[in-house]
Amino acid sequence: MPDHQLLDNITHKDVHVITEHSTQLSDKSSYSHVFISEFRDVQAHYPIFFQKNPQTGQFEAIALFGLAGEENLFLTDAGWQANYLPLSIQRRPFLIGFQENTEDGVVNEEPVIHIDMDSPRISYNQGEAVFLPQGGQSPYLQQMAATLMAIHQGHQQTQSFIEALQQRDLLESVEIKVTLDDNSGHAMDFLYTINEEKVEQLPDEVIVDLQRLGYLKAIHMILASMPNMSHLIELKNRLLK
Amino acid sequence: MDNLVREITIVGGGTAGWLTAGVIAAEHMANSDSGVKVTLVESPDVKPIGVGEGTWPTMRGTLQKMGINETEFFRECDASFKQGAKFAKWVTGKDDDFYYHPLVLPEGYEKINLAPYWQPESDKVSFADAVSFQGHLCEKGLAPKQINTPEYAHVANYAYHLDAGKFSAFLQKHCTEKLGVRHVLDHVTLVNPAPNGDIASVSTKQHGDITGDLFIDCTGFHSLLLGNHYNIPFISKKHILFNDTALAVHVPYQTENDAIASHTISTGQSAGWIWDIGLPSRRGVGHVFSSAHTTVEKAEKELRDYIRPTLGKKADVISIRKIPINPGHREVFWHKNCVAVGLSAGFLEPLEASALVLVELSAAMISEQLPANRDVMDIVAKRFNKKFLYRWDRIVDFLKLHYILTKRTDTKYWRDNCLAESIPEDLQTLLTLWRYESPWQLDFDHADEVFPSASYQYVLYGMGFETSARRTTRRSDNLELAQMTFQKNAQLTQKLLAGLPNNRELINKIKQYGLQKI
Repeated sequence: MPDHQLLDNITHKDVHVITEHSTQLSDKSSYSHVFISEFRDVQAHYPIFFQKNPQTGQFEAIALFGLAGEENLFLTDAGWQANYLPLSIQRRPFLIGFQENTEDGVVNEEPVIHIDMDSPRISYNQGEAVFLPQGGQSPYLQQMAATLMAIHQGHQQTQSFIEALQQRDLLESVEIKVTLDDNSGHAMDFLYTINEEKVEQLPDEVIVDLQRLGYLKAIHMILASMPNMSHLIELKNRLLK
Repeated sequence: MDNLVREITIVGGGTAGWLTAGVIAAEHMANSDSGVKVTLVESPDVKPIGVGEGTWPTMRGTLQKMGINETEFFRECDASFKQGAKFAKWVTGKDDDFYYHPLVLPEGYEKINLAPYWQPESDKVSFADAVSFQGHLCEKGLAPKQINTPEYAHVANYAYHLDAGKFSAFLQKHCTEKLGVRHVLDHVTLVNPAPNGDIASVSTKQHGDITGDLFIDCTGFHSLLLGNHYNIPFISKKHILFNDTALAVHVPYQTENDAIASHTISTGQSAGWIWDIGLPSRRGVGHVFSSAHTTVEKAEKELRDYIRPTLGKKADVISIRKIPINPGHREVFWHKNCVAVGLSAGFLEPLEASALVLVELSAAMISEQLPANRDVMDIVAKRFNKKFLYRWDRIVDFLKLHYILTKRTDTKYWRDNCLAESIPEDLQTLLTLWRYESPWQLDFDHADEVFPSASYQYVLYGMGFETSARRTTRRSDNLELAQMTFQKNAQLTQKLLAGLPNNRELINKIKQYGLQKI
């Protein structure tokens, strides 16, 4: 059970975080959310798809790490086998919470840092210190705060991007069927991608709009990430040997 | 003057008027200069009846074709899911007496007729539960889809319950803003004939004469054009379907989290039955009964008794609306250049929600076969009349079926319903046949039957009807396939019970997040 606590320098003054990645320390998940601001780095390593959030049905962008439910083909005992970690993997065990504060009678929701004290990364004698001995934020925590901020902003930017894609009917459902070297089959029917043909047929003025918003680049990075699917299959085939 | 059909004038708003306007305007591009013109004249003085809160699954296709967003429909029309009907106290009248008529077809229906294989097991499992999962979903208060399911798509087939008044207003907005329907809010004072007997125009109080090449009568029970102007005779069906009065009431929920039933609950009474329809914001409950078999006072008491368990003392003071019903329909529906859609064409009773589906079917046929000019209109009219007379007859048969299989003898109402002279000949013939063979596709004449053979199976076997097993074997007998299909249904039931959300929860989510298009 996750134990999310509001981070403060008294309760958590001695907390350290183990930052390595391994099968013991990392979440077993076959994907993570990704944000438009990091698409350039993500597309170099992982296929980017869209899926529907099971709670809300809203589309979200994801990087795929495996071909089945709890499979992460990048995660080995020797660490995470790729040169870029998506922001929502980097942030762990920290997360954003929101705190209400009232200023001049107006209620504002302000992002604050929470920590999952149930995470296997929590330690008191190894890893990175969260607070300095005098109670100030450690460079590590400052870096994590910046990561959380990037996620917070990235979430809204990515939602706007997805809305723009939907308005122009550019998303389509895709069924991925993979046959591995041992002839076993895997099928994934919950993924969505960008319809390349429709992108090519967009009128010039729409192309210009998308270009100005930075969305055209994002669309192309998603399309360019597709060859990483064969990389995933290759990793999976290697496991079979 | 040419005789092309370019202008369609619909008289009367309400769900019939606006649905018809929307179906025709969307297909015939009323919002473009090259399309037909659609005008709807609606009297500000006449209040729509606004019953008809249940639809058929066909409504999904109808809304989709009109370009309506399903999320907006849920938000604006107080809509909820309907997965079928639960009939309580129609067979024995006892407390444990109920059966389901779900909207999904029996499992494997395209491959196998499961009824004969179920019959020997009828004391162990109900027909609906043996062949479909939907009754279980209804009993557990589950929704027919997930928040991830695209709009209009289903996991379990569904229709809607809705607030008819809000639905009309919603359709009006869509028709006038998106589909190019011209809306004239005025009272029709006169119907002006043309020399050939057609309707040339209708006069209004403030907007002068409104012409049209085709007039659609959606004026409800008034039947202003077909009934009043053309005096098309009315064929009463009261000798078959006895109910002639309805008492309707809106029942509030106790808390905003109360369960919303995802099926219509229909409970037999001493001289009629009570409908119970769950919308997100309230329940619509009503008692429809035969005034020849009971008094309004007694019917009102039964209605108040029905809602007392939820409302307590409020049940005795809540206001009740009385609606007279004259079960039957016009002799023809399309006469000259005038066609009636909705109550102006006829009405039987609320059972099985046949009113709105007839509006959809009528609008769809008018739209699909819209005569290009006056010369061919009489041909289309003749085909329309033939098709819809057949449909009304099939609906009368199917509704009557619900009454004649009763084992109730506690009141004259149920006993009279079983008298041979009250049962149409066609239906008697079918019943005789079904004693030896269960209903199947070829029992009916048309490919687009209003009620498929599956519906007859659900009602017949739900009410304990027995079809004797054939004494000789047939090449298509396949016990193995039947057992596999029963098993598949059982597995599917378990899977869906585990995977589908609570009905109210999903409706709340749809309102909050919306359904995706894909």
